[in-house]
Amino acid sequence: MRRRPAPTKDDLALLDPDGAFRDRLLADRAAILPLADAGRIDELAPLVHRLAGAAGTFGYAGIGDAAIELDEALRDGRSGTAPLLAALRQALEAL
Amino acid sequence: MRLDFSRADSATASEADRLAAASSQARILVVEDDANIATLLGRELRGLGHTVDTVSFAEEALLAARANDYALMIVDLGLPDGDGLDLVREMRRRSIEAPILMLTARRRVEDRVIGLTSGADDYPVKPFAVPEVRARVTALLRRPTRLRASRISIANMVVDCDALEAVVEGISLALPRKQFQLLELLARRKNHMTPKRMIEETLYGFDDEVCANSIEAQISKLRRALREAGAGAAIETRRGIGYRLIGAGAASAN
Repeated sequence: MRRRPAPTKDDLALLDPDGAFRDRLLADRAAILPLADAGRIDELAPLVHRLAGAAGTFGYAGIGDAAIELDEALRDGRSGTAPLLAALRQALEAL
Repeated sequence: MRLDFSRADSATASEADRLAAASSQARILVVEDDANIATLLGRELRGLGHTVDTVSFAEEALLAARANDYALMIVDLGLPDGDGLDLVREMRRRSIEAPILMLTARRRVEDRVIGLTSGADDYPVKPFAVPEVRARVTALLRRPTRLRASRISIANMVVDCDALEAVVEGISLALPRKQFQLLELLARRKNHMTPKRMIEETLYGFDDEVCANSIEAQISKLRRALREAGAGAAIETRRGIGYRLIGAGAASAN
């Protein structure tokens, strides 16, 4: 999976001037990680889908890419999503 | 379509964007339940000089679209009270003709095809680059709504551009191909003057022979067909300028 550099302060100032999206990302992270730990995929899926749509738009390409990969795998009902979940966890923890 | 933090991808509307949009400041409906995305879109579109209404639910969107004459709607596919596809289909069924830009995180070809065939005019995939969405909005706003409509009503006549027929009170007019083309062109520009040159370019190809009075002859035949069918629409002539189709009663053909 290709990674992009984290957004700079200037980038975020343009896309998320009041930091509202970053606050939401932190809240999403707090919600997603326990669900992932508990294997509650049905509850996890809509959060991941939302993240897939929004994170990259606000410059969080690493989180967005990981969420997209996982979202598509979950939509397909693919097995073996653990590495994708781990990648999303890693991206979220780096926030 | 991924975000790239280059200068060209700056989230601030460029001067070129502003100039492009300046001639068509519009009222836009954003249907998006993601508050961050809705805020971002609203800020960018207002930055281009547009008026933006934002709603989060499909039901609200339908009410807003019926109450206001939007120049463009941006609709998210996944809404809390329904599917954006169903919303777009319902809007089209109710003859809401504003261009629709559908936002979605579903990126597969089949998803994009379903989006476009449901009635959306464009289908950018999330995550989107802000400058690209701005450009797509500006491009959609350049399209006159009447150029896209497949059924155009004028008084008691309906011009069906898909079925290639004009119907007056349930009775189809048997128009030859060129006369229908002429009627369609005038109908798409109803109440607006259509220059003779534009008619000529629409009706005749490069290799067609066009007589000096070809357009006048076609107009005359079409007028007669409309009159005989009892159409409540008439073609007005402005000498040296062109023609326009209007509801009967105001025509002053000379």
